[in-house]
Amino acid sequence: QSMSLSVTPAQTTAWRRQIFEQLSERTKKEMDNFRHYEQAIEKTVWVKKGTM
Amino acid sequence: MADDKDVLRDVWFGRIPTCFTLNQDEVTEREAEPYYLLLPRVSYLTLVTDKVKKHFLKVMKQEDMEEMWFEYEGTPLKWHYPIGVLFDLHASNTVLPWSITVHFKNFPDRDLLRCPSHSVIEAHFMSSIKEADALKHKSQVVNDMQKKDHKQLWMGLQNDKFDQFWAMNRKLMEYPTEEGGFRYIPFRIYQTMSDRPFIQKLFRPVSPEGNTHTLGSLLKEMYPAAIPNEGQQKRYQVVIHGIEPLLETPLQWLSEHLSHPDNFLHICIVPTPTD
Repeated sequence: QSMSLSVTPAQTTAWRRQIFEQLSERTKKEMDNFRHYEQAIEKTVWVKKGTM
Repeated sequence: MADDKDVLRDVWFGRIPTCFTLNQDEVTEREAEPYYLLLPRVSYLTLVTDKVKKHFLKVMKQEDMEEMWFEYEGTPLKWHYPIGVLFDLHASNTVLPWSITVHFKNFPDRDLLRCPSHSVIEAHFMSSIKEADALKHKSQVVNDMQKKDHKQLWMGLQNDKFDQFWAMNRKLMEYPTEEGGFRYIPFRIYQTMSDRPFIQKLFRPVSPEGNTHTLGSLLKEMYPAAIPNEGQQKRYQVVIHGIEPLLETPLQWLSEHLSHPDNFLHICIVPTPTD
């Protein structure tokens, strides 16, 4: 049996805003004090060497 | 207000600050210093910890190092779950950095899959993507892709290349407008309070009457205890990527924006902290 909740425009704004706000808080909590930590995945930098 | 596309970036670039400490029973030639890393939430432990192995190799003999595995407070960590899921499930509400113990002996075969190479992770990742597409589009999108397209998804994850990954992944997120969403939502609900690894069933984004299904409607059907009764205290937190979306959030939107790169929406149900 399926159940559903109707979504009103006001709720739409609320749930979307909640997600944006929480993601921003998550960044503050999990990253702001730890930016000096090393990244697990290094970004590869390709250097093309030409022949002289 | 931010754009929905920003959510995709926030999800992709989520990081868990982690402190790796060598298990005290390992044989070392001198004291092992802990190692600190920012782990991508959407990746896999065994894919992003080559540096950890290299670090501890400095104080250990090669012959004392068997397959590396990880543990948090007595729980062996399953590498085949995304890192963010492991953190939300076992360690949310704890103080950062996340403290993981590294082992090189006594591999817990009863609890963990072995991971001898990155190709095992790739196989697991691609199999999840295929399973998700079977649910979303009867496998039509993934089967229409070429081998190089599959490789692009994997390489995007492996090398942390958001644009490379999403250039291909957007195809897996499309659906006919008239249908209002995917055929079924690929989701998994995790909890630590059960022997069952996770809940995964068929669930559509829209009801037969045409109503939008929400996170709340999914939980009502799959895990009703996670929805607090009126006037009662909240017993559980419903966590996705370290946040608690409102129960009114449409499931189709969540699937498109908060799924992991494996195309599954991983939902963790954890007891509300009592402090």
